[in-house]
Amino acid sequence: MNFFRWLAFKQLMAPAGASSDAGAGDGEIPDHKLIEACQKGDTRAFETLVTRHRGKVYAMVQNMIKNEADAWDLSQEVFLKVWKALPRFEARAKFSTWLYRITHNVVYDWLRKRRIDSAGELDDGILNESDIAAGARTTPTTVARPDQALANSELGERINAALATLNAEHRETILLREVQGFDYKEIAKVMECSLGTVMSRLYYARKKLQALLGDEKGKD
Amino acid sequence: MKKEKTEELIVKWIDGQLDSNEERQLSALFQEDPDLEKELQEMKALSESVSAEIPASVEPPYGDFFNSQLMRKVDLEIESRTPARKVERWWESFRWAWAPAGALALVLSFFAGHRVARPADAPIVQGQAETIRIESLPTVYFTGESLDAEVIADSNGEVSAIVVNGLSAIRDDIDVATVTTSTVLPKSYSKSEARRFD
Repeated sequence: MNFFRWLAFKQLMAPAGASSDAGAGDGEIPDHKLIEACQKGDTRAFETLVTRHRGKVYAMVQNMIKNEADAWDLSQEVFLKVWKALPRFEARAKFSTWLYRITHNVVYDWLRKRRIDSAGELDDGILNESDIAAGARTTPTTVARPDQALANSELGERINAALATLNAEHRETILLREVQGFDYKEIAKVMECSLGTVMSRLYYARKKLQALLGDEKGKD
Repeated sequence: MKKEKTEELIVKWIDGQLDSNEERQLSALFQEDPDLEKELQEMKALSESVSAEIPASVEPPYGDFFNSQLMRKVDLEIESRTPARKVERWWESFRWAWAPAGALALVLSFFAGHRVARPADAPIVQGQAETIRIESLPTVYFTGESLDAEVIADSNGEVSAIVVNGLSAIRDDIDVATVTTSTVLPKSYSKSEARRFD
């Protein structure tokens, strides 16, 4: 790194308040500043960006493919693709949406290669509204009372197991909405589909989860 | 009401995204189907459970190793994209002129060749320079009159071969490498071989 790049990076990495460009109120450099530095070839800024977002990407990949080792490798692949594509990233796009779009592509490529896309999934055509509604009476509790801690951890496992049985599109829609908190438009951008499709996927995915967890409860 | 619209209303109700008009539409649906509201309440609770139970962020195992591995790949990517820097020499800045200069040289060579070329039917010895070269060639002497020699030389007088004509063929059964003077040979061969082995 030459002196001027080092100086620019030092300014970029200065603590909050040191300059007006220092970053967000929490002392972190904003993503867009790091992205600008990355676009100039600054690998240290990229590493900061990776450290900030790797947890979310890894969680998303892990929840999609349910395999830790592959999730680790695929997360690496996601960030390598991010590095390659960063010069083309435009500031008007939201970085997290763009990052999840790349994550989506990497995961779906992997799923296509593994041909596990349809393994164990439920078919929308089979699970229509009338099939589900009759027996769907599950109300999982979210109250974290100490005496329910064990039950809650079991609930997490059951939700994970139920999610694993959804097809990739439904699983991803649920994860983006319920876990990552994306709005409908962002989900449509990440999954490259219409708003109507997002609504439909959310509706059926929730119905299926309700039916699956209702069946589990019925067994208990 | 269309099925898609009903689905949208339900999804939005669960997420708390309904506007006042949509709320009215859904209320009408609740009145039509009293069980619907209860069912949607359960679905909403399930959504909240998913949000609570599934973490949005999970650090990958060996986070430092994750970064170091990734940055190594990034470095390799940078290297593969950066062409090796070559020191440009001064004549390489005239690279654009190489093709026309080559063509010009070819044309000049063609015309120059025409001007200095000797006519095909001219005698071999012509002019002083070529006479001198022929005089400088070695002279080959033979005792027998039946023999003569052809001296092959280049234009600078450098001899590359002397071809002797008139010798009788060497028989196939004679091994020249092990020949001795006792071997029955024609007289001329015997003398020359004897001189060679002495």
